[in-house]
Amino acid sequence: MTWWGIVVAAGVGTFLIRYLPLLSGTRLARGEGWLSRFLGALGLAAIAALIALSMSDLWWQAPHWRGGVRLALGAAAVLLVQRLTPNVGLATLVGAGVYGAAGWALAD
Amino acid sequence: MNLERATSSPWRSAGQGLRESLSLVVGYAPIAFSFGVIAVQSGLTLWQAVGISLLVFAGASQFVMVAMMAAGSGGLTVLSAVLMMNLRHVFYGPALATRLVALPRRLAPWLAFGLTDEVFATAMAKGASRPLEPAWCLGLASGAYLAWVGGTALGASVGAGWANDRGYVAQALDFVLPALFLALLAQAWRCARWPVVAVAASVTLLGMVWWPGHVAMLLGMLAGATVGSRRPRAGCSQEAMT
Repeated sequence: MTWWGIVVAAGVGTFLIRYLPLLSGTRLARGEGWLSRFLGALGLAAIAALIALSMSDLWWQAPHWRGGVRLALGAAAVLLVQRLTPNVGLATLVGAGVYGAAGWALAD
Repeated sequence: MNLERATSSPWRSAGQGLRESLSLVVGYAPIAFSFGVIAVQSGLTLWQAVGISLLVFAGASQFVMVAMMAAGSGGLTVLSAVLMMNLRHVFYGPALATRLVALPRRLAPWLAFGLTDEVFATAMAKGASRPLEPAWCLGLASGAYLAWVGGTALGASVGAGWANDRGYVAQALDFVLPALFLALLAQAWRCARWPVVAVAASVTLLGMVWWPGHVAMLLGMLAGATVGSRRPRAGCSQEAMT
């Protein structure tokens, strides 16, 4: 298999993994049963799993109390701004800013 | 809702989705930049790096793909690793379909192509409060895609000299995606749904002790959604089904 062959096959395969279930999903979405409730909860579950994955990756980059304080301050800033203004972009930027500033403030 | 749908054209919805992709753009650009840098350092040309981002558009699996190719792994081994990593996306389409007002067949391929973890999470958080227009989702995915391809091109062309810079700005950018997911969780939060969040996060963290992150995440997602699929109690049924 050539280099571009691998890339194209990976692209097509990834696309089909996303596309085929989306087509069948329109039928599933009309139901009221267990599967419909499962799919309805999947978004929130994915967000929670992504938070656990990305925060734990950051923690293991520097597993120290300073790293924990930075994560806590960044997370608190996100939740505070999201509470005050329903603006996801602003909350994200302020949280990242607080995390970066905390790294500077807590440096040795 | 009907009035809103009647007055908002698909182009207007797409524009709104594009504007609301700003937080995704901020999160994607530095990661795509890193991907461009790593791809070039692994021996790929600028066009090969951009080609992968243009055709595959699947964050973490692209890093693995480049690393395996640089290590001389066989084509089928690389391909199966990429597809296994992206297998969790199987569940995204049906879940998104539950939140769409409609799914026109001509838009479905474009919607599916852009259905990354972050686009899905953003759409589902938004979809917790109102049904989603397909054009809005397309606008959202377009912003993410442009940031991903543009960031890759920038990283591959000018990024090699910046690769070792780990200043506080670079560290702040590391927190953009976790911050985005937290903000999305706050936006989509429903009190009756706390067991879904607790189980998904706990199973993911526990799973990471034994398995790679993408496997742990898939297990966490499925465990959380399974808890959420239980029939809601009468007292909180309306909230739980939101």
